[in-house]
Amino acid sequence: MKSINDRSQDIGPFVSQTDDAIIICRCEEITKGEIRQAIHDGMFTVNEIRRYLRAGMGLCQGQTCGKLVKNLIARELNVIPDQLDPATSRSPMRPMEMKVLGNEEVSHV
Amino acid sequence: MKRYDLIVVGAGPAGLSAAIEAARCGMSVAVFDENTKPGGQLFKQIHKFFGSKEHQAKIRGYKIGETLLAEAADAGVEVFLNATVAGIYLDKEVLVQIGAAMEHFKADTIIIATGAAENMVTFDGWTLPGVIGAGAAQTMMNLYGIKPGQRVLMLGSGNVGLVVSFQLMQAGCEVVALVDAAPKVGGYGVHAAKIARCGVPFYLSHTITKAEGSDCVSGVEISQVDEDFAPIPGTQKHFDVDTICLAVGLSPMSQLLKMAGCNMVDDPRRGGQVPQVDENGETSIPGLFAAGDVSGIEEASSAMIQGRMSGLAAAAYLGFLSEQDKDNRLADLEIALDSLHQGMFAPGNKGKTFTKTDEGIAVSQSLLKKGYLDDADLERFIHRSDQTDEKSGIHPVIECTQNIPCNPCQDACTRGCIKVGKTITALPRIDATISCTGCGMCIASCSGQAIFLVDEDYAPGYASITLPYEFLPRPQKGELGTALSRSGQPLGHAEIIDVRSAKTFDQTTLVTIKVPVEQAMTARFYQPETNAAGQ
Repeated sequence: MKSINDRSQDIGPFVSQTDDAIIICRCEEITKGEIRQAIHDGMFTVNEIRRYLRAGMGLCQGQTCGKLVKNLIARELNVIPDQLDPATSRSPMRPMEMKVLGNEEVSHV
Repeated sequence: MKRYDLIVVGAGPAGLSAAIEAARCGMSVAVFDENTKPGGQLFKQIHKFFGSKEHQAKIRGYKIGETLLAEAADAGVEVFLNATVAGIYLDKEVLVQIGAAMEHFKADTIIIATGAAENMVTFDGWTLPGVIGAGAAQTMMNLYGIKPGQRVLMLGSGNVGLVVSFQLMQAGCEVVALVDAAPKVGGYGVHAAKIARCGVPFYLSHTITKAEGSDCVSGVEISQVDEDFAPIPGTQKHFDVDTICLAVGLSPMSQLLKMAGCNMVDDPRRGGQVPQVDENGETSIPGLFAAGDVSGIEEASSAMIQGRMSGLAAAAYLGFLSEQDKDNRLADLEIALDSLHQGMFAPGNKGKTFTKTDEGIAVSQSLLKKGYLDDADLERFIHRSDQTDEKSGIHPVIECTQNIPCNPCQDACTRGCIKVGKTITALPRIDATISCTGCGMCIASCSGQAIFLVDEDYAPGYASITLPYEFLPRPQKGELGTALSRSGQPLGHAEIIDVRSAKTFDQTTLVTIKVPVEQAMTARFYQPETNAAGQ
């Protein structure tokens, strides 16, 4: 089985599609075309797409587009989506205001 | 830092069930939920549940939710609402936002029951206001009393799409079409039949190609798809709608488990990223469990059992329950869970096509393609046992043609006229030797609204049909309306000759209509003249 992380593999040229203007990540307003182009720029994982485009880094933290982005990568790389790792999960799990995150309750110690 | 024996994340059916079992074993239990109200999806479930008595079948979801909350309070479970878990760290430390502050908690066991989130599909215009998830529609209607729109198109024919379509009509919306890219209806046939007889057309092998409108949805275009699910040019159909509902599956919200370091797998049959768990929901981290949809998409009935199992396992892990007691109690729950995992719609049968029922009867293709039983298919199911002798008088007609885990009809008939047997997925059989009193308990007990009482000898040339009716306003005796066929086609005038509601019917009204005798086996729904049923 070919490694998804093999960056020397040739995934062919970026060919524009009629629906490239569709928004995939609603929170950060990233389109299908931008994500597909990013894959052809060498971003082969969900995490790389996140860092490159901010897709999945908005208010919903990829709850809506995570699967969609994964499917787009899988299609461009010609692999099945379950072979791709989802984005890293880290705290805070939900969007939180900094003033709240910095306001630690210490009374229970 | 506050300590508990068990911390549960998520106050839905799985989380509450887990908390109750653990607390009853003597554990101190805290449940965190980010929502304002507990209960997860249960309080949106206004329909009667399937299953058998032990699964609380024929009880509406919100009532099960009320029972769980009362049990949790009795057991001493502390439920924290508006409490968002931000992270789970080493040694079961949990960071929670409560109000405007962050609080640290620590537990010796953790059960994650965070449920699932709705999937989305993309098409031209999918980000327009008016394109909503079916769950969102359910939240608006059933929690907040707001109609999502006037005219709705539903994408997705799984149980969620079917159940929410019916609820939309109950709320007074018009459902213009039910669309699914798959070639057959994904959910229970009885759910499909409920909306088909209200006149909702089914478009299988179709998908949405465009949401129309500039500021919000004003219409939708659907197209037929080929075998590769690609839209076929030239097959477009247009509907004027203000709302497009998407019911295209759920994904487990398993991020907390991943963050905690559990071994995860990507299993499309369980809905996506799920933790590796043993039979009691224990993950690769000892003392950390997952229960309900977060460990694989199913439904609330199995989530409650899984919750109970993980609660007991957590209690045994900490020594609050002896190994022997644990094994005994888990054995019963395993049997209950296993019975829900049987039949055509079992999780293990996902994607399989059945051509015959367990009884060897060819399944109804029209039910799978159009959402209703056509007359030819009906013959195979209805004329099995009860029509051989020329019986006269009122008798039940059960239009339940798929092997699904459900049997309340069996207990409903006090005379024992209806038999499902030990295997709860078996199709109900009618014992024609026992005469029917027409009490209607079977109609009200059927969560699928698939039982009718028919009397071909009601009056010369006329038959009476008693059917389940869950719309408001309730029809009045003497009222005249239209009889509808299984496909929702008008058959002619129908007169309401009886309207019954009783506490034991649990809000299902039994409406008896008088129709020409030749419509005895075709008329299956009633439409008031005022068009108040939403269609």
